[in-house]
Amino acid sequence: MIRFFWKRISASALSLFGASLVAFFLLRASPGDPARLFLGPFAGEEALKRVRADLGLDGSPLLQYLIYVRRFLAGDWGFSYSTGQPVATLIARRFPATLELGLYAFLIAFLSALALALVAAYRRGPVDGTARAISFFTMGVPPFWFGLMLLLMFFEALGWLPGPDGRLSIKVIEPPRVTGLLTIDALLAGDFAAFRDAFAHLALPALTLGLTPFSFLFRLLRANLIDVCREPFILVARSGGLTRWGAFLRHALPNAFMPTLTASGLLFGQLLAGSVLVERVFVWPGVGALVTDGVLKQDFSVVQAFILLSAAIYVVCNLIVDLLGGVIDPRLAVSGGDR
Amino acid sequence: MANDKATTEATGRRSHSPGLGHRTSLVIGLALAALLIAAAAIGPWLWSLDPLAMDFAAPLAPPSADHPMGTDANGRDVLARALAGARISLFVGAIVVATGFLSGGGVGIAAALGRRWLDALLMRIVDALAAFPPLVLAMAVTVGFGVGLTTATVGIALSCVPFFARLMRADVLRIRALPFVEASVAVGVGPWRMIFRHVLPHAAPTMLVQCASVFGYAILTLAGLGFIGLGAQIPEPEWGAMITDGMQYALTGQWWLAFYPGLAVLLAVVAVNLLADYAQAALGVRGLEA
Repeated sequence: MIRFFWKRISASALSLFGASLVAFFLLRASPGDPARLFLGPFAGEEALKRVRADLGLDGSPLLQYLIYVRRFLAGDWGFSYSTGQPVATLIARRFPATLELGLYAFLIAFLSALALALVAAYRRGPVDGTARAISFFTMGVPPFWFGLMLLLMFFEALGWLPGPDGRLSIKVIEPPRVTGLLTIDALLAGDFAAFRDAFAHLALPALTLGLTPFSFLFRLLRANLIDVCREPFILVARSGGLTRWGAFLRHALPNAFMPTLTASGLLFGQLLAGSVLVERVFVWPGVGALVTDGVLKQDFSVVQAFILLSAAIYVVCNLIVDLLGGVIDPRLAVSGGDR
Repeated sequence: MANDKATTEATGRRSHSPGLGHRTSLVIGLALAALLIAAAAIGPWLWSLDPLAMDFAAPLAPPSADHPMGTDANGRDVLARALAGARISLFVGAIVVATGFLSGGGVGIAAALGRRWLDALLMRIVDALAAFPPLVLAMAVTVGFGVGLTTATVGIALSCVPFFARLMRADVLRIRALPFVEASVAVGVGPWRMIFRHVLPHAAPTMLVQCASVFGYAILTLAGLGFIGLGAQIPEPEWGAMITDGMQYALTGQWWLAFYPGLAVLLAVVAVNLLADYAQAALGVRGLEA
């Protein structure tokens, strides 16, 4: 088991190292002059030289790479010219909003995929057909567009949910900050009005962000459930007197669940990337909206930091579910987890 | 049935006839795909308004007989732009699938059949690319090499290289271990003939399904990049950029600007995914759900 842990951890570290090389190559060694990118087309030669030295771009490529990695690890992610603040500060301040959105999105995606896959694989027939049709819709719809349509429906036409005005209505006072997650903080402060307001603001963006993970989890779990139900041990469980539903829940689900768990880590790690597509629609004050704002204002320092950061988070999420998988199902650890 | 079992043992794949649900997938998928291809091929010819021509006399006109999908803030006809967008999306999808398949598939074959060090080297490169969420890798390419439709296409193609490479490598390794390939080696078939005559034809079904789903992924990601401003730029008639352009008007009543291009993306991706679903069932390809 320790060998398995060590193997997975070193493999993840290696792919992160590779990712930093890829990011360095794409973002720093590309034909466009990064100093020019920072200063704009009208900057003088003197200023360009200064910025190049500032960015660590005047040494050999190897030296440049080492400076790049050292600065990233030290949390020195550059300076955002459009806001006049260090990128790390900006991202850190906005991260809780994205984390809260991501957690709710994942919760919605996971629970609805689980429920729908169970019903679809158990009942088959028209129920299965409907569930599959839903999954084709959620897989094909561009999330940002779906979010906009939800706003048109539930905010503009029906008025049931708040519009795109961030995490809380203006009239609601923010609960004292403990975790940075507004719904949790509101509950900790016993402020149910704030909780309700924060929750209502979360509903549509979380549903939108959850679309992609929902489709993948549903398809995966449904296919695995149907496969496992054909296995002989299900027949044995049934012949021992278990009801079909009992055998389904007790024996089919746990056996079909492993790939879903692994995919969960993958999909959770992708939520940060997905937030870039979703947050802007809802004017959600998170990291994703920060990135789209940066693109809009031609301020790419934020985008550059975001690219390596999202790779780091993605790899770590994958590593965690890999290790978890090895603990839950030791057979994976023995085979080295090779897929 | 006995035949099925024999096929399973020989090729490691289960073959079974696709059920009713999958046949529905085929019919709807084919209909949508035909509509889409017709829109891209003869649409701009039937509806001959210029997608870039501005008409300041009719800005933000609601859908009418003159403009069935309305006009945007500069009076450009949304239907003409949506049709031109179909061309862009299908073209980019095709380029991404072709380059991703050739480079990723090539890497996968080389890794599976080459020396150990080559396998290790190639797979570490693939791991490095796969360490990014796919959308983020495409973003990195456009940020580094200049925002635009071309770099977006390159970025999306690069982001799907790991999908193809890993799948191809795994499939080639699986096929190469099958008894009939071993037998062909035993009777003196050379390495190239083995690859092209015996291994690749058996990898074709998996790759076909993968190509179809990557096509859908490419259309969706292109729209995403256009939406966040890292792909095609307005006034280019690309669906994602059109949605961004229309978003600011959606909540003030001009819903048609963002609605139609989004619907086009939805229909295109659903069409491709339905066809991929049918192919997967009909060819007995397994384990591609994620």
